Amino acid sequence: MADSAPLQQDLARVALGDRAAFERVYHSTSAHLFGVALRILGRRDAAEDVLQEAFVSVWHHAGSYQAASSQPMTWLISIVRNKALDVVRSAAVRHETSMPESKDGEELELADERPGALALLMAGAEALAIRGCLEALDASHRQSLALAYYHGMSHSEVAAHLQAPLGSVKAWVRRGLERLKKCLETTGQANLTGR
Amino acid sequence: MNYNRPELLDRLASEYVLGTLRGRARRRFEQLLRQLPAAQAAVRAWEERLGPLAVAVPPVAPPARVWAAIESRTAPAARRAPARAAWWKPLLGFALGSVLTIGLVQLMPGSFMSLDGLAQKEQALPQSYVGLLVDKEGQPTLLISSTRHGTRVTVKSLRPVAVPPGKVLQVWALPREGAPFPLGIATPTKPPGSTHFDMSGTSEKLLANVPRLAVSIEDGPAQPGATPGEFILTGHCVKLW
Repeated sequence: MADSAPLQQDLARVALGDRAAFERVYHSTSAHLFGVALRILGRRDAAEDVLQEAFVSVWHHAGSYQAASSQPMTWLISIVRNKALDVVRSAAVRHETSMPESKDGEELELADERPGALALLMAGAEALAIRGCLEALDASHRQSLALAYYHGMSHSEVAAHLQAPLGSVKAWVRRGLERLKKCLETTGQANLTGR
Repeated sequence: MNYNRPELLDRLASEYVLGTLRGRARRRFEQLLRQLPAAQAAVRAWEERLGPLAVAVPPVAPPARVWAAIESRTAPAARRAPARAAWWKPLLGFALGSVLTIGLVQLMPGSFMSLDGLAQKEQALPQSYVGLLVDKEGQPTLLISSTRHGTRVTVKSLRPVAVPPGKVLQVWALPREGAPFPLGIATPTKPPGSTHFDMSGTSEKLLANVPRLAVSIEDGPAQPGATPGEFILTGHCVKLW
């Protein structure tokens, strides 16, 4: 991640109602955050709405951002992801078996992109130097985490996608997360986002 | 479910951040998040662990209409009736020379910025350190500010603070590293009045590495190296320039 100090400072200013700082935050982060929302939602219109909601929320809640305990980009990503997951959750179309490809409206070519989730996970890992930790996971664990994280898939959606029993997927996700945490802790890479 | 089990809390936090905690379980956990600092800490830790993976997602420029919509929804006019939790934002906004809603003008004497005797160009913000201290319920109580190169601190009372007779209100700086050190004694006054105290050095010297401020009730002014009593007010210390 790029130097987070200017972003941190701008968020502090946003908390005090500084509109110029707010615009700077938007312009420096929106493309990235839009990409994240688009991956999860698979639809431009829905992703635009989520981005809008996220930034309105940033304007009102920048004061709750705690520079001491989290990176500014991580904080913003969490807001966008949570809003996107709310939408995914409430959209009946997406429920259980149906996939975002089957939705109306503008669509992404997710069928082609979906296998890319795993590649993204490893690319993200490269940036983090935690590649070793992810590689140490079983392939099924790694794949389940990638589908859930990048595409906002639920356990049942991952199960449908991988054509695996739901119970197995739940266990893969749980063990995958546990092992990732353990590995990050032992290699001391958990906090390597710039501090 | 017993949320006091740390390993269960951590597992729920991990699936919450990953996104696989769904439906009623997710809503219950969100409710828990609002109440339980341990849950917030667990979620933050997982956000830090997984969040960086999002770095790999290719950026896609959103259309201009998104910013236009955000702008119109957050414009000052839209803030005339601010949410209760954020009522003080316009107040601070005024302190910084931006727009203020009419109802708050009376609360906020225009002297706030000029008190330090710094002639500032119109519209220009003086380079300042500002801390909004909130009580345990999160109510903004004191607004503490000083110019970057000044030693005089302005303490604006937003809500009454009860100081027992014979006690003082000690303001502490909580540096990024190291122990809290005393900044001075605040004399609260009837809101929305202001009082002052002087620090031993300039804000720049004392506060450059101080992300938080806090206030405790003490028997007398604390000496450097003293251990603070219980903090009754705390808040971020923000650089403004």
